Amino acid sequence: MVVIAVTGKGGTGKTAIAALLVKFISEKTSNILAVDADPDSNLPDALGVEVEKTLGDVRELFQVTRDSLGTVDKGLWLEGKIFEAIHEFENFDLLVMGRPEGEGCYCFVNNLLRGILKKFMRHYDHVIVDCEAGLEHFSRKTIEGADYIVVVTDTSRKGLKTAKKIKDLVEELNLNFREMFLVGNKIVGDEAKEVIKNFAKEEGFVLLDLLPYDEEVVELDLRGEPIVNLSEDSEFARRVRLIAEVLTGWGS
Amino acid sequence: MVERRKVEIPEGKKVKVSVGEEDFPFEISPMFEGERIRKGDMFVELAGPKTVGFELVISLPPDQVEDMKATLVGIDLDEMEEGGRYPFAMIYYIAGEKIDPDIEPVVERRNHEFQNYIEGYMHINSRDTIWIRIGKNAVKKGLKSLLQIAKATMLLYKNEMSFIEKIEALYITDRELVEKLLNELARPIYEERDARVEKLHDEDVDEFYSCSLCQSFAPTHVCIISPDRPALCGAITWFDARAASKIDPEGPNRPVPKGECVDPIGGEYSGVNEFAKQESGGSVEKVKLHSFFDSPHTSCGCFEVIGFYMPEVDGIGFVHRGYPHPAPNGLPFSTMAGQTGGGKQTVGFLGVGMAYFRSKKFLQADGGWYRVVWMPKELKEKVLKYIPEDMRDKIATEEDAKTIDELKEFLKRVDHPVVKGVVRPVDGKKITEGWVEEKEEEKAEEVKEVPAEEAPSVLPTQLPIQMPQLPQIPMAQSMPTIRLIIKNAKIYIDKVVVRKVEDKKS
Repeated sequence: MVVIAVTGKGGTGKTAIAALLVKFISEKTSNILAVDADPDSNLPDALGVEVEKTLGDVRELFQVTRDSLGTVDKGLWLEGKIFEAIHEFENFDLLVMGRPEGEGCYCFVNNLLRGILKKFMRHYDHVIVDCEAGLEHFSRKTIEGADYIVVVTDTSRKGLKTAKKIKDLVEELNLNFREMFLVGNKIVGDEAKEVIKNFAKEEGFVLLDLLPYDEEVVELDLRGEPIVNLSEDSEFARRVRLIAEVLTGWGS
Repeated sequence: MVERRKVEIPEGKKVKVSVGEEDFPFEISPMFEGERIRKGDMFVELAGPKTVGFELVISLPPDQVEDMKATLVGIDLDEMEEGGRYPFAMIYYIAGEKIDPDIEPVVERRNHEFQNYIEGYMHINSRDTIWIRIGKNAVKKGLKSLLQIAKATMLLYKNEMSFIEKIEALYITDRELVEKLLNELARPIYEERDARVEKLHDEDVDEFYSCSLCQSFAPTHVCIISPDRPALCGAITWFDARAASKIDPEGPNRPVPKGECVDPIGGEYSGVNEFAKQESGGSVEKVKLHSFFDSPHTSCGCFEVIGFYMPEVDGIGFVHRGYPHPAPNGLPFSTMAGQTGGGKQTVGFLGVGMAYFRSKKFLQADGGWYRVVWMPKELKEKVLKYIPEDMRDKIATEEDAKTIDELKEFLKRVDHPVVKGVVRPVDGKKITEGWVEEKEEEKAEEVKEVPAEEAPSVLPTQLPIQMPQLPQIPMAQSMPTIRLIIKNAKIYIDKVVVRKVEDKKS
């Protein structure tokens, strides 16, 4: 199992990149799990699919049902419900983490969740996680660790600042990652390229690629169409496909 | 009790039988546990959320069980359509010297684990929510019949649970029979099991379990989970903790040997005391599981409901997390929770789980329900069926009383036991004297001359009390008429004199 976490400030295009990674990697193996771990973005939309149930829904259901379960094994019960929340599409599975916790104590249910997710995730070849910059699910260890962390940024000061914050956080969280990459996005002109390159050098990122500003990506977004409909011969798509190849072949 | 006997297979059904061991065309290994068979890789789906199914273990006398016999009623794998979904029931008859109906759930629980050892076979959930998928790869490798699965499972049972001397399997894919047996046999047995749990008490077991899941919030908090006292977060029963400790004995739920029973009414055990002392780093020396006033259980901060003592009425109130208003003592849930959490033994407050209201030992040292005077309506309605009938109308809600004075009036009117003295049901002992002559006005005058920080205690002074020390939430909140805010102050007090105020007019 290889876990790839795609993160960065909102608006930098990380969800689009995550969705395209899912698309390209799933062309080689369908044993792949996409995880939407960012409540503010929408990976299902980017992938062009619909989901009915999230892990958050399951967790809430557990909180209100747990008292009436009698001697039923709560771990098994929860596992069954989680499996119902995994949406199966032709080339990939999708799990949406969903709403944050409400009131009350979530220690027990989260502990069960960690065990269940750990056990079933290891059977996928690739797990691709679209996660917000706070890396909540990694810090809570709902998702145990990431092999590759792909930080997406544009040239905005905020984007770069967030990228640096993520790096500090990752080092603090002890995620046992193998490599942390930087991907520059919406890059126009040589000056912008230099900004990202220098930033990567200063902060010690491996710079994976500099993606161009792409009109079609913006248009798809405007029309609310799935990003995976992007024409495959566009430069943007070709480059993300290369990133997918690098990530799946890294180290081998 | 539901009669344990073999299922009668109705005439005219398709039946297939196989006896004895055989070679399997699949691997069996713990390595396959958690293996997920994706929709695209699946040959068929059995039971699951979109159709019907169940698993059940039945104990029988040895002469009724034919060892290693597998029977299938209904169509078999090789007659099923690829991508199809079918009803599915698995019944195991077991026999052995140590086998009785009590052990059935223990054996049944392992079906999940053993079946997941089978390559290309996925088993999810338990009881009547089971969900099975068989992979195309397994069929390609030569899996033809569900009887092969039954045989492999039975072998694992006999290898891993040696007390099973004989085992026989009945698998059913015939919808009519699965549905009939689910309603007439399986569900009544599940209900019977759940009912048995309510009859299990602290004295029936040798071990309790600890829970340290909350230790990051409350380092000295030690949750002790016993049959009569579920965890105060409401999530973990004794059965859950036992299951967790079997899977991971070094994990958050560890066995706590009971040791000797020091106080059967308060629920004090030497083993629990030792464990608490050790785990709290010595800060907790004694724990009584069913006592509010004497060495109460510590609270983490996660509890669903908080109990609070009101000295003015000598009774206990409860308020749950969702109730936003102040309780009659003037404090809302959050304030009380802030003072009680963190793993301290705070006499006068106690965090409990919703399920503790169900306990037969519910605060039995303090009179149980007969000492309870107030709870929000929402909470009361939820636990109403556990309240003794003669007390149901005597416990006030916010509709009856919002302040101590209103509560007093209410309790007097309904003749609540606290008014004349509580007799605790567990041993018939009278544990409170009832209300004595009221000296309200004098007390109120005294209070005014005492410095704020040490002042108005909601707790009676005759009890050995550790006052929660949280200066940012002064206890003065309990007196709604006074709010004292001191910012950036340095106060030097040379002398404090507490004196009864003389009536100057006289």
